[in-house]
Amino acid sequence: MSLTDLEQVRSPSAAGKTAGMAQIRIAPYIFISPFFILFAVFFLFPTVFALILGFFNWRGLGQPEWFALRNYERLFRDQIFWQSVQNTIFYSGFSLFIIVPLALLEAMALNAKALRFKTLWRILYFAPIVTSTVAVAIVFRMLYNREFGIINNLLISLGAAPVDWLGDPAWVKWAVMGVVVWRWTGLLAVYFLAGLQAIPEELHEAAAIDGANAFQRFLHVTLPSLRPVILFVSVIVLIGSMQIFDDPQVLFGAGSPGGPANAGLSIVQYLYTRGINDLLFGYASAVGLFLFVVIFVLSLVQFRVFRGFEVD
Amino acid sequence: MDTKMQRRIGAIVLNVVVGLGGIIIILPVVWMLSASFKSTAEIYRFPPTLIPENLSPSNYQRLVTDWPFWNWYVNSLFVAVVVTIAVLFFSSLAGFGFAKYRFRGNKVLFLILLGSTMIPFQLILIPLFIIMSRLSWTNTYNALIIPFMAPAVSIFLMRQFITSIPSELMESARIDGASEFGIYWRIILPLSRPALAALAVLTFLGSWNSFLWPLSVLRAREAMTLPVGLASIQGGLTAGSEAPIGPSMAGATLVTIPIILVFILVQRHYIAGLTAASVKQ
Repeated sequence: MSLTDLEQVRSPSAAGKTAGMAQIRIAPYIFISPFFILFAVFFLFPTVFALILGFFNWRGLGQPEWFALRNYERLFRDQIFWQSVQNTIFYSGFSLFIIVPLALLEAMALNAKALRFKTLWRILYFAPIVTSTVAVAIVFRMLYNREFGIINNLLISLGAAPVDWLGDPAWVKWAVMGVVVWRWTGLLAVYFLAGLQAIPEELHEAAAIDGANAFQRFLHVTLPSLRPVILFVSVIVLIGSMQIFDDPQVLFGAGSPGGPANAGLSIVQYLYTRGINDLLFGYASAVGLFLFVVIFVLSLVQFRVFRGFEVD
Repeated sequence: MDTKMQRRIGAIVLNVVVGLGGIIIILPVVWMLSASFKSTAEIYRFPPTLIPENLSPSNYQRLVTDWPFWNWYVNSLFVAVVVTIAVLFFSSLAGFGFAKYRFRGNKVLFLILLGSTMIPFQLILIPLFIIMSRLSWTNTYNALIIPFMAPAVSIFLMRQFITSIPSELMESARIDGASEFGIYWRIILPLSRPALAALAVLTFLGSWNSFLWPLSVLRAREAMTLPVGLASIQGGLTAGSEAPIGPSMAGATLVTIPIILVFILVQRHYIAGLTAASVKQ
């Protein structure tokens, strides 16, 4: 190609323009196609597959047996399933009412002007976010050990009675939450910290001049300004805690993933046990659909709430 | 004077409480690191020793001889790196398509993408598992990489970022004869660097720490990723029973410590990514 040819290609001649227009028309489809191909094969198809599977009895071999609503009938009479639902609601409630306020407190402390070595504390407080849940749960398993664990030894040295953290049905949920507090509080605090830093300093100053004390400023300046962040965090906490799996699965071990008397079993653990271990594909898909409906409703609430804020 | 005193006391209390909290948070990590060099007897001792009496690498030696630990490490690293590169490429490409072109179906397709983020992965766990078995992809990298190369959330994030890049840059590139892919490659990608960095950190960590899916499709010991392998060291143990503690702690250390060190280096990107994901939703 000579130099003049190149010049011609570069100049926006009529022919070049139409070729360019065609390219502009086709290009976006080519750019988004890898996503939609992967999406169709590994997301859309499995989603439809899951809905259909819920009406069948199938263990992977032979002909699937039409089950109509029997999977769902069984599911709603399944004691262990309801136990897992109950446990998961506990996890969600604890996360929402204990971990979220704790994270807000943490963010406020890390944002306080009087705090020294801010970067150091932020690194320490946020480091748990990047750790592997499996590794952390393995460590906590040792800390929770009934005879040799640090936690019980500390309790004894303080004169308290030791607790069978992983063996006593009354305590296992709290043990799971211990790991979750450790891993999640920092993550939520990151969101709150970003929210706090977005509050204009003048708001606090104006309130202080009006004679508001620290608590009043928190109530009337900080909390209202953080409302969108609090809602966002609450929804991701709810959705995330509905899907809890890694922590109890590793804490209790593959031998009894639900802990004693399934007192720590989560919904996803039950889905995994029925589906992947027992190969009850239809039944596990019914559990999956139940979870989907719950999370879908929570997501809709999230969208509505955030629409509301855009309008404000 | 009184309020000044009060403020000073408040500041001291704040610093002490934050300091104590920080120590409590880092304690499990310190304990893990220390225990990984101890004998079982010393791990169980109370009060615990901070510096092991007999600093011994034997837990690490056992870990790599009794378990295919290096396989797990290579598997985890390979999968996380490939997934990250693929996600960066496909997400920025599709995000560019959605952000900068008007085309038929643009809105509907984007709504489908957004809607799909409401579907929890657990719903498709079983069907996806069946598909993997049919494709004979169980125990392979394919199962861990291919379905996760273009997540809807990442495309959404990239679209939001690329929308803010001025379109005039594209126009002048077109006049200079750049192809559409050339515009993506030479203009959009370099300007998206901050978003790409944040997405890279989030994606890498997500893959590195992922557990439910690898646990479902990996059964062969050599094929496992780190979290699945680590969990398998605990084996089919029931609550409270004995486990090979030392090697477990060595494994947990090798999984978490490098990541924490990298986190300290890239924490700005990481936190920027987290908050971008929250603000944009």
